[in-house]
Amino acid sequence: MKDNASLEILLRIINQCYELEKKLATSPEAKSLNRNLKRIKTGFEELGLFMEVPIGESYDETRTDCEASIAGEGVENLFIREVIKPIIYQERDGIKQIVQRGVVIAEAN
Amino acid sequence: MINFGIDLGTTNSSIAKFDKGRVEVFKNPIGLKESLPSVVAFRKGKIIVGEKARELLLKATDSVFGGFKRKMGTSESYYISELDEKKSPAELSSLVLKELKNFIHTGEKPTSAVITIPASFDTIQSNATKQAGQLAGFEQVVLLQEPIAASLAYANKEDDEALFKEGQWLVYDLGGGTFDVALVQIREGEMKVLDHEGDNFLGGNDFDQLMVEQLIIPYLEKVGTFNKLHTEMKSAKGRYNRLYHRLRLLAEEVKMQLSGKEEAELEFETIDDAGKEIEALLTISKSQFEALIQPQIDRTIEMSQAILDRNGIEKTALSYVLMVGGSTYIPFVRSRVGEKLEVPINTNIDPTTAVAVGAAFYAGSQRDKSKKQAEKSSEEIGLQVKTAYQKASQEEEEYFTAKFEGAWQTLSYRITRQDGGYDSGLKPLKAQISEYLPLLKDSFNLFDFHIYDILGNEVPTDVGEIGITQGRYSVAGQPLPNDICLEVDNFELGSTALELVFPKNAILPLKKTLTKHVTRTIAKGSSQRLTIHVLEGPVSALPAANQPIGYISISGTELQRDLLKGSDIEVELEMSESRDLKITAYLLMTDQEYENVFTPSERHVSVHRLLEELEMLVDKLGKEVEEAQELENYETARELLDVEQNLLELIDQVKAMSEDDVTDDKFQIEDQKRKFAIQIDSLTREKHITKVKMEYFDAKRDIEYTMQHYSPTESEERELQRMLKQEKEFLATNSRLRIKEIIDFFADLGWRIRTRDPQYLRMIFAYLASRQDEFSNPQRGGELIDQGYDAIDDEDWDRLKLHINQLSGLLPNAVRNDMFRGGTGIG
Repeated sequence: MKDNASLEILLRIINQCYELEKKLATSPEAKSLNRNLKRIKTGFEELGLFMEVPIGESYDETRTDCEASIAGEGVENLFIREVIKPIIYQERDGIKQIVQRGVVIAEAN
Repeated sequence: MINFGIDLGTTNSSIAKFDKGRVEVFKNPIGLKESLPSVVAFRKGKIIVGEKARELLLKATDSVFGGFKRKMGTSESYYISELDEKKSPAELSSLVLKELKNFIHTGEKPTSAVITIPASFDTIQSNATKQAGQLAGFEQVVLLQEPIAASLAYANKEDDEALFKEGQWLVYDLGGGTFDVALVQIREGEMKVLDHEGDNFLGGNDFDQLMVEQLIIPYLEKVGTFNKLHTEMKSAKGRYNRLYHRLRLLAEEVKMQLSGKEEAELEFETIDDAGKEIEALLTISKSQFEALIQPQIDRTIEMSQAILDRNGIEKTALSYVLMVGGSTYIPFVRSRVGEKLEVPINTNIDPTTAVAVGAAFYAGSQRDKSKKQAEKSSEEIGLQVKTAYQKASQEEEEYFTAKFEGAWQTLSYRITRQDGGYDSGLKPLKAQISEYLPLLKDSFNLFDFHIYDILGNEVPTDVGEIGITQGRYSVAGQPLPNDICLEVDNFELGSTALELVFPKNAILPLKKTLTKHVTRTIAKGSSQRLTIHVLEGPVSALPAANQPIGYISISGTELQRDLLKGSDIEVELEMSESRDLKITAYLLMTDQEYENVFTPSERHVSVHRLLEELEMLVDKLGKEVEEAQELENYETARELLDVEQNLLELIDQVKAMSEDDVTDDKFQIEDQKRKFAIQIDSLTREKHITKVKMEYFDAKRDIEYTMQHYSPTESEERELQRMLKQEKEFLATNSRLRIKEIIDFFADLGWRIRTRDPQYLRMIFAYLASRQDEFSNPQRGGELIDQGYDAIDDEDWDRLKLHINQLSGLLPNAVRNDMFRGGTGIG
């Protein structure tokens, strides 16, 4: 990555890919587009950028890979119910580093 | 000097350092933000400060505390049910300060700091802030008023002494949750706050909420059926509470977008009370947003005006209004304040860090009177640490334990993962501690283990980094013994070449998707073929010298329509830990997918491809023999002729075989073919490498000449330097392809630079015009030459460049590529 500005642009594009992925998941008729989306994601992976969608995973305050809004009443046994923005890692020399923390909504089970 | 400045804010805090005339605002090592939410949580025996505590702020009211700065210096204290004890606002603030110390990446442990306070703080509140600093290990605390700090940030940025000899201005500070305005005056070099106003409950967060309540909820009520939507959203028990949180986040994004655009879209889905799915697409315009926040902004202006009225100050007597706080990024805030107050707006400083930056500048001028204490190591403290954990794991989390002997009683510990995804929080040390550390899948996970003393200073230990490998790096993962390559067409060399897919020593399992293009049209129903050929062996070798490990061969008869040259093929290669190879090929144009799985114990040889390869080798040999004879290298020529004879015999054998031949013959021939290919390679390799290296040095001389005699841009010079830096490495690869790539790079760069020079363009044009007889289309050539002369007359160099490109396309060598037939069909 040349500089922070180009990384930021790439992150914006990855976020849009995630938006597309969410929309495609609810429209089975657009299933064939998944392949194109997968290709785009592969392209980003070749650039060392990996997207993680932590939906359904458990959440607590030790998870600094996400910024959470906690909905509902409880704060124990939280699970990630919605992912507004995915977690994005950048891999360099085999070591991963978070470049975008996920933005999620967590709620007690 | 003190050098460290801290903005201890109501909503957010930050820390900066003055160093040799410049100020650095430190970033949180977790999340890399420059600010830390001033929120503290006590949960499950640990202390959490910042972002993670803020997330819990509205939920766990008995253990999470924010906004305590407002209570600084009062007798009010906060009961912490988790600890069954009370903590004062100063004690909570000290935890924020200790956390800020962790932002300092320079390894320093400051014992003195400048800490900012609101202009409204009285002596008791100021002393409470000092106390907070001392509790956080700052022996010497110098207080500085926030508006003064912001003004200092501006003064140091502008570096204009005249501007700060005499004068007065307003500091307008609108943050996320609070608003302050102060009248600052400088007389004879002394800066002071004359008056101030503020609202502790007004800020940018209110604007997001307004957008949800006044624009989005009414919209939803219009398009769907909702009962008490407002209540159902805002109540934690409400059925739309989760949607409310989502909308707050989206509204914040819209707010930021509207700083640069006239309108922003907000898109979300939900289901209404009647079970109807609502796909909401709401456009919010800048004017709508501005109308929404106008009453709030006008209130801030009234407070500012009140200060001026109270002090009998004419607007014309003010130099400017200095904008501070994240919400002053909103263009409407700036324009409205400027318009209404009729005073110029000053937006020359970064509003989010101005206070910390100003504090650091001030700290750079204050003498450090604290007694610097030498850092004590764990041994001096009398602490022995022993750790135990698995260094490789297939689990999602791994057990870590540490035992302590000696004076551990007042210490705390914290474990963080280096990618920024995990933070245990600050926990009191015990004789033995244990943690389950969450691991990133298929990665090498590095954790830092920190121990802190009661003042928040780190105690050095010899524990070092905790490294745990998960998944593929574990003991089960084996390295690849050889490169795995894909064979692709290379028109430049008139043959095929290898492209690296997985490098030698990469750890299995591996997966990669490549997008290649079809290099020749394959007609539907024809017998032409496209071959995806995967080979094992050095990428620098000839394809025929490497071991084929799998292929997919697609015939024209299998195609649903013509596969045109230039269309894409997606090739996915997957190699398992036991080295099973799965190749998937997807032809985008025909929407057809092919898959083949190969196991290393089986060999896969395509008779068709084998024949093609043998013919290519014979073809290549012919040229090599000719060259060797020209160079009077008769010994090599004779050896090559022997190989050719053997190859011709193999061709006859293969021709007699069917594609589905089930005998071992094709494997034996394949083996022999490889041996012969290696023989050809070793007989001719040196010659080729030497030749291409000579070409390289010629190309390098050319580009250096171009750089000296033409006018390259700075970035072009950088581009070349970058490439030349790697010269040693790519020459050492002895890969003809790699060196050719660099030669091409030099040629392209040189062409780009030279063709900016009209003189050069004229010369090239004259050269092309002199070769009119060789054009493939002489009539077209003649027309282009005429047009070229016109362009010269008009001094239209871009047009001339275009004609030069068109003319060169008419020369025979430009069409040479299309003459090449054979190969794999992909490139």
